[in-house]
Amino acid sequence: MAPTPNQNSQLVNPLATTAQLSSSGSQLDGVPADLEDSVRFAGASLTQAAGMLLRLPQEIIAQAVVLFTRFWVGPEGGSLIEYGTEIVSASSLYLIAKLSPYPKSPRQILAAYAYLSSLPTSLLTSSLFSSKTPENPDAYYLSEGTYLTQRAALMKTESHILRVLGFNTHVALPYTLCINYLQTLDVFQHPQASALAKRAFAHLNTALLSPQLLYLTHQPPALATAAIYLAAREVGVQLPDNEWWEVFDTDREELGFLVVGLLSMESFVKGEEERWGEGKGRGKVPMTVEAVEAEVERRRILEGGG
Amino acid sequence: MAGGASRWANDKEDEVLEAQRKKEKEEKKRAKLEKQRKLEEAEARRKQAAEPESTQGLQNEVERPVKRRRLSNERDDGDVPDQPRRLMRFVAPEWGPCRHVDNFERLNHIEEGSYGWVSRARETATGEVVALKKLKMDNLNDGFPVTALREIQTLKESRHRHVVDLREVVVGDTLDEFSSVFLVMEFLEHDLKTLQEDMAEPFLPSEIKTLLIQLSSAVEFLHDHWILHRDLKTSNILMNNRGELKLADFGMARYFGDPSPPKMTQLVVTLWYRAPELLLGTTTYGKPVDMWSVGCIFGELLTKAPLLQGKNEVDELAKIFELCGIPTEDSWPGFKRLPNAKSLRLPRTPQTQGSIIRSKFPFLTGAGAALLTSLLSLNPERRPSAAEMLAHPYFKEDPRPKATAMFPTFPSKAGQEKRRRVASPSAPQRGQAPKIDAGEVDFSGIFAGRDLEESGAGFQLKLV
Ligand SMILES: Nc1ncnc2c1ncn2[C@@H]1O[C@H](COP(=O)(O)OP(=O)(O)OP(=O)(O)O)[C@@H](O)[C@H]1O
Ligand SMILES: [Mg+2]
Repeated sequence: MAPTPNQNSQLVNPLATTAQLSSSGSQLDGVPADLEDSVRFAGASLTQAAGMLLRLPQEIIAQAVVLFTRFWVGPEGGSLIEYGTEIVSASSLYLIAKLSPYPKSPRQILAAYAYLSSLPTSLLTSSLFSSKTPENPDAYYLSEGTYLTQRAALMKTESHILRVLGFNTHVALPYTLCINYLQTLDVFQHPQASALAKRAFAHLNTALLSPQLLYLTHQPPALATAAIYLAAREVGVQLPDNEWWEVFDTDREELGFLVVGLLSMESFVKGEEERWGEGKGRGKVPMTVEAVEAEVERRRILEGGG
Repeated sequence: MAGGASRWANDKEDEVLEAQRKKEKEEKKRAKLEKQRKLEEAEARRKQAAEPESTQGLQNEVERPVKRRRLSNERDDGDVPDQPRRLMRFVAPEWGPCRHVDNFERLNHIEEGSYGWVSRARETATGEVVALKKLKMDNLNDGFPVTALREIQTLKESRHRHVVDLREVVVGDTLDEFSSVFLVMEFLEHDLKTLQEDMAEPFLPSEIKTLLIQLSSAVEFLHDHWILHRDLKTSNILMNNRGELKLADFGMARYFGDPSPPKMTQLVVTLWYRAPELLLGTTTYGKPVDMWSVGCIFGELLTKAPLLQGKNEVDELAKIFELCGIPTEDSWPGFKRLPNAKSLRLPRTPQTQGSIIRSKFPFLTGAGAALLTSLLSLNPERRPSAAEMLAHPYFKEDPRPKATAMFPTFPSKAGQEKRRRVASPSAPQRGQAPKIDAGEVDFSGIFAGRDLEESGAGFQLKLV
């Protein structure tokens, strides 16, 4: 069973500094910010999808997504011109799983990624969240030569992630808090209680993919509170009409900001699907160094010509 | 060879270009960070001047995003980001890339352990003296060793007065991915093992109490945070010249749950401090394994010598039973089902089964002996928790714990030269778990020589 982590580590994450939020290694290398957002979003979704394929618990997957996201942030963070998104995603998942009670072998991880990259789309949110049971990832074929090369890359990238993050591998999550808060709010008597909890969790999962980097800018109590606030409005559960969120260390301003952030995800995802979805726009999101370089070059030519 | 030379030349050229590119990027970064810093300062000044904004209704905010925060994803280069700035931001920890170990000059080697080596070092920029521990990177088959990751993670999370402070993690040359990772820790003058070796007399009872209080408060903190240390022993307990004790060496530490996660390795804790349930092969264990070690440390402080110096697993168990008595279904229900218990043959006569702790430490008060006896309960369930230990009457009776400021100071070996190490078993290595299956192990004769033993003649353990 999962350990009940201590109060502090459950509540506190390292947050991105203002300097880290204002620039990134990729932008310094000339990657446009909107392209960076698209690639990071696709990479975060890929991590989520791979974790599900490997049947890892959501708490483990979420930690990997946060780690993956931290890696790209700030002028000293990883650049898309230096690191492939897929391998950073795979290494994040490998690293977090290794520290968890559910370690995965490099072969299992790489097979899952090989399978996912064989799919016609790189936006895995809709297809995989709608829980079609995927094929057995272990069975996906990986030639021995490819396996060995990718395994070396997996290890190398793992050590780069650790260096870039200064070994800050600890991630606090809002899921358990969310349940505790719902208990405190005494809503479990309500007929809609389970719908409410489900909806709140769904918001927390979606927030992991936010281009506003919500998990890197807000602490778990605020994320849990905002998810509950929004979910309650959506499923029509009446919460206390006082300022209950203050009990959970969240002020009105931060709550408002997060609720808007959560609400904006739908249109953001739609926009990404318009641009990169299967059979739409430009095809797959560039997920390797070469593909990102090519896309940057393509845009430069387009802009230069126009 | 010409070909070789030209290729070398090309490599060289590439290298130069690469270095140039890197340097330009570095400079850009520096400029950027500087600009950012100035903007932040300006903003902080502005914030200070400004009145707190009146908060609008939440409904409003939901419908109509607050003006000073954009929702669009593009961020203008160099623009002040529209992130909320609040007090929490200054309180929350941050992350950044590892610095290079070159920021430190090595002063002298302190100690080589089984998991790495430790040096005294000075940070060049600040002149501050620290301890540098190089992590051993073996078993790279699975990438970065999980034990090293756990050591860093658990130590990072254990901010406590009586746990050594991990300042940062620094790395060696980036070319070689796993070659070198170092923990930068506060430097302490002594470890309890080396210190005791050089003392003519054991610590005074009042000093022992202070040491134990500090130790158990650290263990209480770890256990409250779901961390097991799993290698408590005197060489992993540091002390400075102000009588302050700090727990170190998290090389074996890990998170645990309640109930404990299945299949934890029993290959933990240095032999002389290893609890009987581990020796008997349990894979589900918890806080009591640390408390057993605390008991061993208590005994060691009293006599200035390790309490249970077994030569191997079997001998360690023999020494334990000799001191604490033989377990029975009564005193330790279910112990016979532990993997290694099947091969034990134990004496049946009840009068030989008692603990001799009381008589072995004649100078200990009744309360002290009761505490030591409970810490060294064979049945893990019967050992007190760290919190219970802290509340024990032993610490309230005379002599009272000595104030740390009143502790004598000792010359520091770590501060000057390499320590010589008196032989003692080292922390267990990863690998095969030990099995006690040298046929049957017969403990039935264990107390045959008790009278002799007590008069100093020692005894033999029969292996059948
Ligand atoms: N912060 C420190 N300040 C001073 N000395 C230290 C410090 N940390 C460690 N030492 C010294 O180095 C020794 C070894 O350190 P540590 O126990 O962390 O390494 P290790 O290799 O894991 O040891 P082992 O495997 O032998 O238990 C300690 O016993 C102590 O003497
Ligand atoms: Mg040690």
